[in-house]
Amino acid sequence: MLELVRDTYRYRELIWALALKELKIRYKRSVLGFLWALLNPMLLMVVLTLVFSTVMPIKIPQGHYAIFLLSVLLPYTFFSQSLTYAAESIVGNGNLIKKVAVPKLVFPMAALVSNLINFLLSLIPLALITVAIGHPFHWTWVYLPVPLLALTVFTLGATFFFAVANVYYRDVAHILQILLQILFYVSPIIYSLDQIPMKYHWIFKLNPLIYFLNGFRLSVYYGLLPAAPSILASFVCALLALIVGFWIFRRHQQEFVFYV
Amino acid sequence: MKDSSIVVSVENVTQRFRVIHERPDSVRELFARFFRNQISYSDFEAVSNVSFSVRAGEMIGIIGRNGSGKSTLLKAIAGIYKPTAGRVKLRGTIAPLIELGAGMHSELTGRENILLNGLLMGYSKQQMLRREQKIIEFADIGDFIDVPIKQYSSGMYMRLAFSVATEVDPDILVIDEILAVGDTAFQQKCFERLRQFRYSGKTILFVSHTMSQVAEHCDRALLLENGRLILDDLPEPVIDVYRSKSAAELSAATEKRADMVSVDSEP
Repeated sequence: MLELVRDTYRYRELIWALALKELKIRYKRSVLGFLWALLNPMLLMVVLTLVFSTVMPIKIPQGHYAIFLLSVLLPYTFFSQSLTYAAESIVGNGNLIKKVAVPKLVFPMAALVSNLINFLLSLIPLALITVAIGHPFHWTWVYLPVPLLALTVFTLGATFFFAVANVYYRDVAHILQILLQILFYVSPIIYSLDQIPMKYHWIFKLNPLIYFLNGFRLSVYYGLLPAAPSILASFVCALLALIVGFWIFRRHQQEFVFYV
Repeated sequence: MKDSSIVVSVENVTQRFRVIHERPDSVRELFARFFRNQISYSDFEAVSNVSFSVRAGEMIGIIGRNGSGKSTLLKAIAGIYKPTAGRVKLRGTIAPLIELGAGMHSELTGRENILLNGLLMGYSKQQMLRREQKIIEFADIGDFIDVPIKQYSSGMYMRLAFSVATEVDPDILVIDEILAVGDTAFQQKCFERLRQFRYSGKTILFVSHTMSQVAEHCDRALLLENGRLILDDLPEPVIDVYRSKSAAELSAATEKRADMVSVDSEP
């Protein structure tokens, strides 16, 4: 674990450069460029709000379904996009790995960082929408770095795992997409846990994402802070994911060059 | 060997690859093979038990036929492969010029690639920015420096790559036949720079198929055959052996073909 911190620090400039490169390529040749990072959540919001507030209404307390949804949809998108990018990160950089002796952890890291930047940018439209539709702008926004830190650590652990798995079996990238879709519906994103009968709650609580998303929704939508056990659970899950993910990554990184 | 001037020490390095015949690329295939119990593979030794050492200021030419293990050996030295057995000891920084455009991204401009390439080799952003001007001057590709490198010719690629790798001032430079694509003038410029390199006590490992370059510039040559180091001597005798081996093989092949022709043409 110390190695992870040390290498991350040592190669911070490389990770940053790779992350920027990824963003640059993602928005290259598009007229609007970085604006897409802002436009995407807005357009998504319009669509989802239309669907879930008029076509197929979901009852939520306090109205403003858009904020209810976006407060957790944005962090979920950060999570799922990071995994999608990271799963391809080792294989996609095969040419580099075969020709330059470079610490392999920079690739999943860069995938994560580029999506983190995207996420932070998407908070701007979230704030704008909050104000625009008259939802209270809660002081608890300042709490956001806490669930974000936990989610980032958790995501990093998961990215390490999927980056390795995809090196050996390219099916993993496809399986991941299915898993992410399932996860989207079993996590309280478009709905709230309150709408689920109490006796099923324990099933939902097996999903680690719930603890991270909880922090985002409470602070942005309700103006509340999560209870201590929920915060604790999120950090325990995050650290466990990171330890296991990095352990697997470390064990296999020397072999990547033979499989990419 | 406790010689302080030795900068590259390759000790009994073996690099084995597992060649899986039609490697199961997907889970479905894996299962299919697992149940039919036919995951077939063979081990292939690209480099077998190679040992040599290089002193500071030496330029070593590595020659051999295609597939003799030259590039694999360079990659093991550069730390890209972890040797299956044996070890490589280096003193100082190493810059690998293994293939054209390694560590470059085609969508980024030349200038951006200078930074990326430097960072990949482990240098800091500050160090690279300080050297940027010199790198651009040496590469001498004019306005193309701010053009995405996917629009470069292979010669321009090579100019940029060479100038980054040498300008970062590594202690050990590893070159894998990339000089072949430069024009004569730039090749001269490159060899001039390599000469300066050696005078300042740097070490160069040089893979080439151009025997005249090896003869002219190297202090020593290594001949590889089927992954084995079969000769380590001054360039001339090594080149002679390599040439006579190639010639023998060529004439054997020609004879064989001649035989076949004569058999066919019999009435």
